[in-house]
Amino acid sequence: MADRETATDPLKHRVYEELLSPSELFEARSRSHKIPVRGQKDFLPSGSEQQTTRLQQSLDEHWTLLTEERVERLGNLVKAVWIPDERLVELQSPAGKFWQTMGFSERGKQYLLPEEALYLMECGNVQVFYRDLPLSIQEGYERFLSRETVTLHQYQVFGHLKRLGYVVNRFDSSSVPSTYERQLNLPASSWDKQRKQLKRKRSGSPVSSDKQNTAPEEKMTTEDQSEELVKTDPRLEEPMQSADASDRTWWMEAGVQPSPAQAPSAAPRWDFSSISFPDLGSRRSGSVSLASPDPSLLPGALEVGGCDLSLWLSRVNVKQEKLSRRDRERQRDRDRYHRDINSDREVRHCRNWAEYLQLLEDRRRRRQKDRPVHLWEQEVTPLTQPGQCTSHRELLDQISIIKSSSWSEGVSSLSSSDQWKISFDIYQPDTVAEFKKSHPGKPYTRMCVCSFDGPVPDLNAMKLLSFQSGDVPVTFAVVDHGDISFYCFKDFKLPTDAY
Amino acid sequence: MDGYPAGMNASQQSSSMEVKEDMNTQTESEHQPSKDALIDISFCGATPLVWKVSDMKRCRSAGVIGALVGSLARQPRQNVRLGRPLELLQEEALLLEDTSTAAASLQTQDCGDEETHAEAVRRYEAGLESSYKEQCALALEDKKTVLRRIMNEKENGTDDCGSAIRDRLNALDQAFRFPLPAMAVQLCTARAGFSHCPEERSFHSTDWPMPRDERLNTRFCVYRDLRNKGFYLTSAGKFGGDFLVYPGDPLRFHAHFIALCISMDEELPLCDILAIARLGSNVKKTVLLCSPKKCGETGNDESVEGDVVYSSLQWSSMV
Repeated sequence: MADRETATDPLKHRVYEELLSPSELFEARSRSHKIPVRGQKDFLPSGSEQQTTRLQQSLDEHWTLLTEERVERLGNLVKAVWIPDERLVELQSPAGKFWQTMGFSERGKQYLLPEEALYLMECGNVQVFYRDLPLSIQEGYERFLSRETVTLHQYQVFGHLKRLGYVVNRFDSSSVPSTYERQLNLPASSWDKQRKQLKRKRSGSPVSSDKQNTAPEEKMTTEDQSEELVKTDPRLEEPMQSADASDRTWWMEAGVQPSPAQAPSAAPRWDFSSISFPDLGSRRSGSVSLASPDPSLLPGALEVGGCDLSLWLSRVNVKQEKLSRRDRERQRDRDRYHRDINSDREVRHCRNWAEYLQLLEDRRRRRQKDRPVHLWEQEVTPLTQPGQCTSHRELLDQISIIKSSSWSEGVSSLSSSDQWKISFDIYQPDTVAEFKKSHPGKPYTRMCVCSFDGPVPDLNAMKLLSFQSGDVPVTFAVVDHGDISFYCFKDFKLPTDAY
Repeated sequence: MDGYPAGMNASQQSSSMEVKEDMNTQTESEHQPSKDALIDISFCGATPLVWKVSDMKRCRSAGVIGALVGSLARQPRQNVRLGRPLELLQEEALLLEDTSTAAASLQTQDCGDEETHAEAVRRYEAGLESSYKEQCALALEDKKTVLRRIMNEKENGTDDCGSAIRDRLNALDQAFRFPLPAMAVQLCTARAGFSHCPEERSFHSTDWPMPRDERLNTRFCVYRDLRNKGFYLTSAGKFGGDFLVYPGDPLRFHAHFIALCISMDEELPLCDILAIARLGSNVKKTVLLCSPKKCGETGNDESVEGDVVYSSLQWSSMV
């Protein structure tokens, strides 16, 4: 600019020192895009002429590269405006190619998240204005990066991965179906619908966990569902066994109405893998209501009314479950040892609950007839039954008191920590061509950002993170003073056939 | 594997460290507006960043290396060579502050009242307009030179062709159009010109947003001592240490040592030392255990040489 030449006092000079003149701008259009290669390093400075000149050469190259300013054709720049209150950047001119993987639209306007805008500024694709003046990259760093959006460390990881070609999105915990939902075999499409309703913007910053989206499953499980399930419970296949520990806790908790205010715990309140639900979906009989069972068939003073299924059938996905071949085999194996109690003729002959108990007792007696009473009829009994195990391994498996557990077990009982949060969903560069923002699909991995000063996550944090992440692995990005390394923990199964 | 001798002992030996001649003087930058201008360090969160090339040059000549963390303007989509900003270690920023060559500048407030802001916008738009006019003229000139060159080359060719070009050349003054989208604009890296308000600097230069805890003090003592001995240092997180120690500018030389800063009264389990010594020998570097002699108690900031004790671990075979 004109001031540039006339600037005499040092401060003025400093302010304008990095602004290019029109002729410099014009020349920049034809500058080289090559990056000079760095030569081999030396071991020790010897003070020789050759070393000095080579050092000077490297330094010159270094400064040339760094001094270069971004110069773009005005027509190639997407114009955008920084909106500090919403912590978003709104596009003012049509988006470029980057729109395939970045940004979102809302109310007919196109927005970029601050980290996306900053990255695109650094790439020379977007020029962001604030109060009618363009923001420099420095101002972008200072204004866009904060605890409420993304931190500098998180941005460094974001930029690093973006430069490598990955698609990087903020992690949105509501995008992961819970184990319960996965168990219910909810079709993927209903998930996408749900996700669309929760706009990307609502996903909040990766730092602060989103308290609002304690997914819909919680609401369902608390009131209406528990009521219905009590009614249908006697339909469970084995009333005797299923009425033990796990169910009892469920019954009790259902009685204590959880106040909606304590919702924030991210993990569901119940471990749905240990609660068996009646399979309403597979009942194709057409009857839309379950009649109240004969009271004489019920234990104790239980009162069970009829149950109108139609309400449920409209809510539950009744599509035929598609099983893979392996799943089918597994099911067949299971069924072999699992008889439907209704097909047991002796049970059907029982007229009431007391007779059923008597039958069970008789059967138990019959089974144990030929066993020494002093071994089997006392408080302490052998750990295994004769003839039950055919190999050492089976025996060891059966009597093992401490079982090895996997990461995904027993997570629901853990309390969530504030220190460890998943920041980003990562999609591989080779999927970019087919990538759709509306259907991002399953990420390649999810990313946690931490620093060298901090600790390594403890097992508690690890379990929670991998639970949160569902079946997608979690990677940790460690930022050390501009240097970024990645690590992850893998569930390791010890070989069990070592004797 | 070098088989552990039964009676292994960690021998404490004070390594003799040669004092290298300072190489700073060579990297004197060519044009410095004024010697006493302070290096402008802007903090992003707790991280010190340097944005201006002139400031970065001054950092380098003070032996402060830092790490580049931004995309390179020339080729932004790669990680091999990065560009501005330069991220400084806390110790590097402290050293610059201690020798009063740097000042911290904090977050930009929306500075200036409406009037000065409106003035800035006017200046920006006027600048853009004059830049467009000047680039128009330059583009026209550019085109003319190209045409003249072709004309000269074709001089001996057919007259037809030559005159056609001459006509085009004459018509160029009227017909030439330089579309606005073709104008080159600069995306500033550092905060510059119009959006800068000079009052802000003096306003903030007093607060230094870094808390100095015990650990930072220890690291800083070691950093300053090694730097004063002429070594160049960078972060050594990926080697499990505190600093990588270079005999010369890291652009041209390999690091020789991994410095591990431990205060005098800190206990370190043998297995930790073992692990890092193993790693050190794997990457052909010597692990230095660096302990300042009670940095806080000597009080005076002018540290004398030998303020830090350096030792390394050596396996001695006693068979």
